Amino acid sequence: MRLVINYKKCRRAAQCSYLHPELFKVGETGAPVVLVEQPGGELRDAAEEAIELCPNGAISFEEEK
Amino acid sequence: MDTIIGADELSTRQVISDPYSAYRQLRAQSPFNYVDFPAGKIPGIETPLRAWALMKYGDVYGALRDHETFSSAGNPLVGKAFPPLVLILDDPPRHTRFRRLVNKAFTLRRIEALTPWISGVANELLDEAGRGETDIVRHYTIPLPIKVIARLMGIPGEDYETFKRWSDAFLSLVTMDNTERMRNIQEALEYFGKMAVARRAHGAEDLITALVEAEIEGEKLEEWEILGFCLLLLIAGNETTTNLIGNILNVLAARPELWQMLRENRGLVETVIEETLRFESPVQRLSRTATRDVEVSGVKIPKGDLVTVFFGSANRDPNEFPNPDEFRLDRDLRNHVAFGMGIHYCLGAPLARAEAKITLNALLDRFSAIKLGGAGGTRQALSSVVFGFDLLPLIFQR
Repeated sequence: MRLVINYKKCRRAAQCSYLHPELFKVGETGAPVVLVEQPGGELRDAAEEAIELCPNGAISFEEEK
Repeated sequence: MDTIIGADELSTRQVISDPYSAYRQLRAQSPFNYVDFPAGKIPGIETPLRAWALMKYGDVYGALRDHETFSSAGNPLVGKAFPPLVLILDDPPRHTRFRRLVNKAFTLRRIEALTPWISGVANELLDEAGRGETDIVRHYTIPLPIKVIARLMGIPGEDYETFKRWSDAFLSLVTMDNTERMRNIQEALEYFGKMAVARRAHGAEDLITALVEAEIEGEKLEEWEILGFCLLLLIAGNETTTNLIGNILNVLAARPELWQMLRENRGLVETVIEETLRFESPVQRLSRTATRDVEVSGVKIPKGDLVTVFFGSANRDPNEFPNPDEFRLDRDLRNHVAFGMGIHYCLGAPLARAEAKITLNALLDRFSAIKLGGAGGTRQALSSVVFGFDLLPLIFQR
């Protein structure tokens, strides 16, 4: 499972990088970038929270291909 | 022809009810310094409050994303014209802790779960609205958002006229007598204080209970934080959505072919909502304070000065949105700043979008056409912060 951002949905509300800086940062274009693609342990819980709190539903776990 | 508008007229009733011709004339000169708030309206504000107007998309976007330089705290009107408010008039770290707490009440999933209930309220209001020409503001766009936010907060929604009065008073900074304003705000705070006491005694499944029970790093919230947040929710949760839905219906009443398109393809409903957010933004402007000397589009803004970000103007900047004064469904609308951008991004955005979508679908289910009533709409002219209708007579056809 890989933590991913769907940039077609992202509206740069920045809640992910703001509330979960351990997992996301603001990239050069102003859009967020995932820092930890496969969060484990506590980071896994944080990732679940970030997915829940994105106001645009742009973050998810994606099955590895 | 646009009437010529000077920078110091930006907070007049004329510009409040029709801000777009002002933006067209003034955007290219921005940032410029202007009188944001006149002297003598509020005790303690004895000289005019000046601010820097940011009207270009790039400047607005830059300020919203740089919350360290453009602080939301330190507004000179706090304590004079309004009580201290969490979130909207605050910075990290308190803003961060609070946001983490309250975001959980407004997630897409929570709002999705509320949809059947909101839909029920919407249809009930439409049933009661009657036939023929209807003032949709009075019968629908005011009560719906207040009933919804009241339910989330856990307060009775029947008394929505009182809530509307408090909220209008709060926003009518320039236009209402300040003693009258403060009396209304005080009444609201006392009401929420009583609600908080009741929830401490008997909790319920609502936001006020969540607030009185919440602990951030082992500490309970302070009373002013709880009451300030309630006040903020009541205002932000109703005026903005009232104006959004009114603006959407006005756009559609003027475009009968678009109504037909929507009836045939409901997939376009969300696009119409987003384009209306851009085209007639319900929140037109908010204030920031510069925390350091900063240069914006070549203009030096000194540390400590007030800065106004004009969302409404940024959303009509031709450099970001070609032919900005046209309502179009083929734009990339992810960039509009109607809900802001960055850490202060509207907490209620998912709720506002849901209420607008539910409304449009309910009306499209019922009516084959809508058109503007004889007298036409009247724009509100009380608050420079918001843009919407006081009165919007519509005729619905089955």
